[in-house]
Amino acid sequence: MNKEIEKLLFNPIRLKTISFLMTVETCNFKALLEITDSTKGNLSTQLKKLNEAGLIKIEKYFQKSYPTTDYSITKKGKKSFEEFYKQLISYK
Amino acid sequence: MTKEEQLRIINDTIKKTKYNLKPLGYNLVFWGVLIITMSLFHYFFPQIVQLTYYSSLIYWVAIPLFGMVYTTYYNINSGNKLGYETQLGRVIRIIWAVFGLSWISIVVLNLLHDSNPVQDILFLLSTVLIMSGVIIRFKPVTFGGIGLLIFTIYTYYVPDINFLLVNVVGITFGMLIPGLALYLLKKDE
Repeated sequence: MNKEIEKLLFNPIRLKTISFLMTVETCNFKALLEITDSTKGNLSTQLKKLNEAGLIKIEKYFQKSYPTTDYSITKKGKKSFEEFYKQLISYK
Repeated sequence: MTKEEQLRIINDTIKKTKYNLKPLGYNLVFWGVLIITMSLFHYFFPQIVQLTYYSSLIYWVAIPLFGMVYTTYYNINSGNKLGYETQLGRVIRIIWAVFGLSWISIVVLNLLHDSNPVQDILFLLSTVLIMSGVIIRFKPVTFGGIGLLIFTIYTYYVPDINFLLVNVVGITFGMLIPGLALYLLKKDE
């Protein structure tokens, strides 16, 4: 498996984020904060790293004049997570 | 972090993801009450609803359209409050959106051809209820749909049946009661 992905998912916040995004279509920042049990600053940093690696997609738009951000997993993210999960299972 | 810890994190996170079923229950109850009330009002006050040729068309299209606007607004708000949309939620949303569009088409086409749309709507509704019930694994909704389907087929064999009363009976057992059960009993998936 790609060592870079393995290193990226070694962080629990990033691993929780990817695992959660595997099960949903889209989610907002507030939901991710609750799921990852993280702080806003830390979560933003980890999301940026996942986005830079091409694992997640970030969409910004306005809803009722308020800026809103939606997060979803990319095809590369899904494939990487599946490979990562298979490898984890094989270690058991 | 060990491999076991990573696996535990993945499993715990996936378990936290739930599709909120209450909004679907609320939608079924809302539409059940609305359609039953409209049918009963039409049954008891036909002189008001059928005042002109187009008044019943407006009655059966305009009020449900307002209902659609309201439920769309309610569903968007519920989704925003939850903060995420699951694959299950997306499937259910698409099924009911297609039903809504089909419903409008059936009503307009039937009224333009001077025929009653009740049986067509109930038939379509029963199939959508069965699909929804099977997808969310909730028997009262599935059985409500099956019951409604049998009842709708039965109405084709009864001449001169009153479609407003058919609507009341069909919607009560196919939509209102399963919707209430879903709203009150079912835990999130």
